[in-house]
Amino acid sequence: MGAARYLVQRELRGAVRGYWFLAYSGVLILGGLVLVSIGGASGDILGHRGYARALAGLAHLGLVVVPLMALFPAATALAGDRESGALDYLLAQPITRSQLYTGKWLGVTTAVLASLALAYGLFGSVAVLRGVGPELVLALFGATVLLAVAFVSLGLLISAVSTSAHRAISIAVAAWLFLLALGSLGVMGAFVRWQLPRGALVVWSFLNPIEACRLAIVPLLDPDVGLLGPVSADLVARIGTPGLVALAAASLMAWSLVAALAGRRLFRSAGS
Amino acid sequence: MIVARDLKKAYGEHVVLDGLSFDIPAGQRVALIGLNGAGKTTLLRCLLGLVAFDGVLTIDGLEACRSHEGSEARRRIGYVPQRIPAFDLTVSEFVELMTGVRGLEADSLLGVLDDLGLSMAQVADKYMSSLSGGMLQKLLLALALGSEASILLLDEPTASLDPSARRDFFAGVARAPEDTTVLFASHRFEEIEQLADRVLLLHQGRLAFDGSVADLWTLAGATDLEIQAVRSSAWRADTQERLLARAIAAADPAPCDCAGMGGC
Repeated sequence: MGAARYLVQRELRGAVRGYWFLAYSGVLILGGLVLVSIGGASGDILGHRGYARALAGLAHLGLVVVPLMALFPAATALAGDRESGALDYLLAQPITRSQLYTGKWLGVTTAVLASLALAYGLFGSVAVLRGVGPELVLALFGATVLLAVAFVSLGLLISAVSTSAHRAISIAVAAWLFLLALGSLGVMGAFVRWQLPRGALVVWSFLNPIEACRLAIVPLLDPDVGLLGPVSADLVARIGTPGLVALAAASLMAWSLVAALAGRRLFRSAGS
Repeated sequence: MIVARDLKKAYGEHVVLDGLSFDIPAGQRVALIGLNGAGKTTLLRCLLGLVAFDGVLTIDGLEACRSHEGSEARRRIGYVPQRIPAFDLTVSEFVELMTGVRGLEADSLLGVLDDLGLSMAQVADKYMSSLSGGMLQKLLLALALGSEASILLLDEPTASLDPSARRDFFAGVARAPEDTTVLFASHRFEEIEQLADRVLLLHQGRLAFDGSVADLWTLAGATDLEIQAVRSSAWRADTQERLLARAIAAADPAPCDCAGMGGC
């Protein structure tokens, strides 16, 4: 654990120094300010529901931005070090590959979550002051955290198998576009076009971490689940909103676990 | 003690190490020499557990390739690579990181840095990227010497340094305690003569020669003039490579593909 502390510290320093930490926080804060101002305007009519809708907008902005802010630093974490010679030098020290991988994972995750906490802390405070329930803000933050951790794990997995930072970023962007494009709209289009069974849509929704996060967030913000789509609404009818949220959260946790373990295994086997 | 038995490493069809066997007792200072691609760096990477291999390679009885044993073995190793690793850190942050992963206090390095003529007070807040190659190599050497390692692995550490920085570096290596084992890859006989009491000559992944520098001169049939040439400050790469090629040809009857070396 002693070595991990120093590896985490290095990642945090790199995050702040590389400006991505501040850049992504800035995007979320800027987007959130716009949404809060819109929410404030509708709040005159709708009360705290106006701010809840602003939070919903922020959550959807997060579905696009958070995967990127987690993928980029994670994808370059090992591949960048490999390119610069830092990886071999670190591995020449008395640490195992697993310890190094874990240290990287913890470091990038901590940096990403700190960035998210900054952005959500700001809006969450404004929203709570305007009457939105703090439990709603915390639940949204929790879902976003799970999404971020899943993409950190995916990014580090990409990094473990990439020979250069450039290649890792290319794969990460492709993965992000793929998962984003095959979100609700892409999947709906494909299922309508090819008449795929309803069960396949449900399975896909929980296999795609961006979709899984959306499924966790929307029922929290919109109790009448009008935004979920007919299949997910049907799912809510069967297992209830808590069941849907729990299933989506479990899917994101499984993503994190599987990607982290697979990445660690691949990274270990690279030296054997 | 370092023990290698039938050490083999190949990248696909390309055999890099081909059945190396040797013992290096504690405290010995050994130069690894050979033409480019002879397997010097790969051997050092095997010792560091950075690549997998076939055969046996142990450091004080610990197997270099096993995850946890290898990690424990690396605790005994101080390493200076040929290519300086790029860390986006200040010198003090880098020292904190590298001593931290070894469970040492960063302050324990101050004396070593001073001995090597690198004042921490002057460089602590500077980014590593702003230091010269010589200063960075001194920093890495200080980390290796200050890490309580009993083995120093140096992979052509002075390849990109000017003569003055090279002298400073090897003067620093000479400060290592007498019981420290030093295994260094080098292309320069002046360094080898200064530091090594044993030479391992690798050729095409095999051990072509194992003996003293004087024996190597004899094997290569070196003239006094040639020896003076490689010792002098007006170091001549062509003379050195010619001697090396002659030594390889004399030691290894297998065909040598050292075209342009003038000796084969």
